Amino acid sequence: MTGIEDLLRDRRLLITAGSGGVGKTTTAAAMAMRAAQGGRRVAVLTIDPAQRLADALGLDALGGTLKQVDPGHFEAADLRCEGQLFAMMLDVKTTGDQMVRRFAPDPATAQRILDNNYYRYFSASLAGAQEYMAVEQVRTLVEDDAFDLVVLDTPPAAHALDFLDAPERMLSALDSKAMQVLRGGGDESLAARLLGRGRGLVIKSINKLTGGPFIEELTDFFILFGSILDAMKASSRAVQALLRDDGTRFFLVTAPYRANVDEALHFRRQLDSRGFPFGGFLVNRVHRPVPTVTDDPTTLAHALDELSDLPLDRRERVVSGMLAGLTAHARMAERDREAIARLDRLADAPLVVVPLLPEDVRDLRGLDRVARSLTA
Amino acid sequence: MSEPPHPYDRRFVFVTGKGGVGKSTVTAMLALRSARRGARTLVCELNTQERVSCLLGHQPVGGTVTCIDRNLWAVNISPALAMEEYALMKLRFRAIYKLVFENPVMESLVRFVPGINDLLMMGKAFNHEREVDEEGQPAWDRVIIDAPATGHGVTFFKLPRTIRDAVPAGNMHREAAAMWALLTDPVRTAVHVVCLPEELPVRETTELHARLKGELGLPLGHVFLNMVPPPLFDAEARADFDRLLERPADPRLGLLWDVSRIRLAREALAAGYARELEALDMPIVRLPIQYTATFERPQIEALLETLPA
Repeated sequence: MTGIEDLLRDRRLLITAGSGGVGKTTTAAAMAMRAAQGGRRVAVLTIDPAQRLADALGLDALGGTLKQVDPGHFEAADLRCEGQLFAMMLDVKTTGDQMVRRFAPDPATAQRILDNNYYRYFSASLAGAQEYMAVEQVRTLVEDDAFDLVVLDTPPAAHALDFLDAPERMLSALDSKAMQVLRGGGDESLAARLLGRGRGLVIKSINKLTGGPFIEELTDFFILFGSILDAMKASSRAVQALLRDDGTRFFLVTAPYRANVDEALHFRRQLDSRGFPFGGFLVNRVHRPVPTVTDDPTTLAHALDELSDLPLDRRERVVSGMLAGLTAHARMAERDREAIARLDRLADAPLVVVPLLPEDVRDLRGLDRVARSLTA
Repeated sequence: MSEPPHPYDRRFVFVTGKGGVGKSTVTAMLALRSARRGARTLVCELNTQERVSCLLGHQPVGGTVTCIDRNLWAVNISPALAMEEYALMKLRFRAIYKLVFENPVMESLVRFVPGINDLLMMGKAFNHEREVDEEGQPAWDRVIIDAPATGHGVTFFKLPRTIRDAVPAGNMHREAAAMWALLTDPVRTAVHVVCLPEELPVRETTELHARLKGELGLPLGHVFLNMVPPPLFDAEARADFDRLLERPADPRLGLLWDVSRIRLAREALAAGYARELEALDMPIVRLPIQYTATFERPQIEALLETLPA
């Protein structure tokens, strides 16, 4: 098995996935930072609409453009960086529009698509369009010679699957017989027939469900979109190949709880069934094991020389509070240990443990602490 | 105009927040509270690995509305089932449904409408809100929905308005307009936000609050601040502990001091984040961390105990 350190050195695309709130974004940023420190030119991307990545990288705002993390930030944090680190948040609207402009045969067609009501509804407002459009952007960056490595942070599990499935879904939709009919030119085009001739039962029924003008916008959209489908289809195939390439590795980030671990294992099976190459599990925010203290509060209170001026009962109360804290921590450490053991038993893959930090990760120094446990 | 009812007493309740903050926990707790007070309550999960029914000690219920406790029902809404239900309602005949939906052209069309799944699921939850029994009485006193996470969540809430504006007329327009009217009605609807006392969830909650309230004008309920570390010491013991400026010499006490300091650092962080949330005009409900090996029904019951009556 290849360690993370090696993967950071020689792969082209690393993808973090997992359920929500487990620290995916932080982990992706920490990996990207470590690779950049090792001398590579790295772009880290998030398709999560939140601004987390910006926070952790000390950037004020991440738009739909790549921004380099100021090398001065590294110096200020007493960290070396031999390479370059760029970050960006994939912006749905920009990405979708860029794709239309890129694949359209001419600017006029591009503009007609961009002006279509259905396209606007499709690209800007609705869940799913984001993942659908994002993969193309990722591919562009991976193919860009300006970068040695792209690190991609995906949205939480249910939607991470949407993201991974989006290219496949697009291809299969594009390859379907119905689409071929729909795309057929002139009078043969089903879309043209739907618009032109008397409406059959199917179109009547669809209208009943949606409202007439909507379906016309939609068919119009399909006719226009047909002109860019071949280019998109080729691109979609390239994305599929990229996700399965040996230069790509998927990481599953999980919290050390039974439910999260089971979710991660489920996700691993889904990755395997799609043929996506797996890099390992990253277990985040783990309580370190602590020794037990078996003495009773009174005994310990007597040993608390530093507060010997206090009456014994007050010292006992301090000690009791501390013992309660130790018990709580020990219970969490035991819970974490069991979850990790379960993952280790069932996973058959590299597993990296990142301990719970006493403070939040909010800057490069915090990221460095995470990166250190990743590559330890 | 009279004051809208207390958020707990509204009919159509959403629980949202950043991923992993405990939305299902809060949904389960609110559902249990509602059912205990005699309201016929339906919990909807939206096409996820079911958590709420499991947290309440029941098997996953799937797509069928299932009674999981006294006065409490649950359902996991899947887009496919919701689509079939909606289409059958509108088209009336299964044969037409089959013709339309088992038609490859339609299949492709549906695949090309991202968001349609969310719309269908929200539509089904919406139909439960207005569902009536044989006597024409509302079938449910309360419908509680475990909503998608932040980010995706805003898109989700915006959906009815988007469709209402994008589709100029017809059934879909009418449905979407009615859904939006319900969503924005402070008498019937409340949107609760779940948060953790950590930097990024607090920031996201602040952003979410601004978007839900400002951009969408939804009637907000409470912020549930989950996993707040309970104080390790009472005030006097804390003052005494704070006099220990250095690690005690005794190794057992040294270990206890180390662990306690980490805990107190988290307590202080949590208190700071709670203060940031106080700037929002949403009441905050604090839910303590429970240091237990498992998180199941007894832990939900314990949380319910901490809720003000």
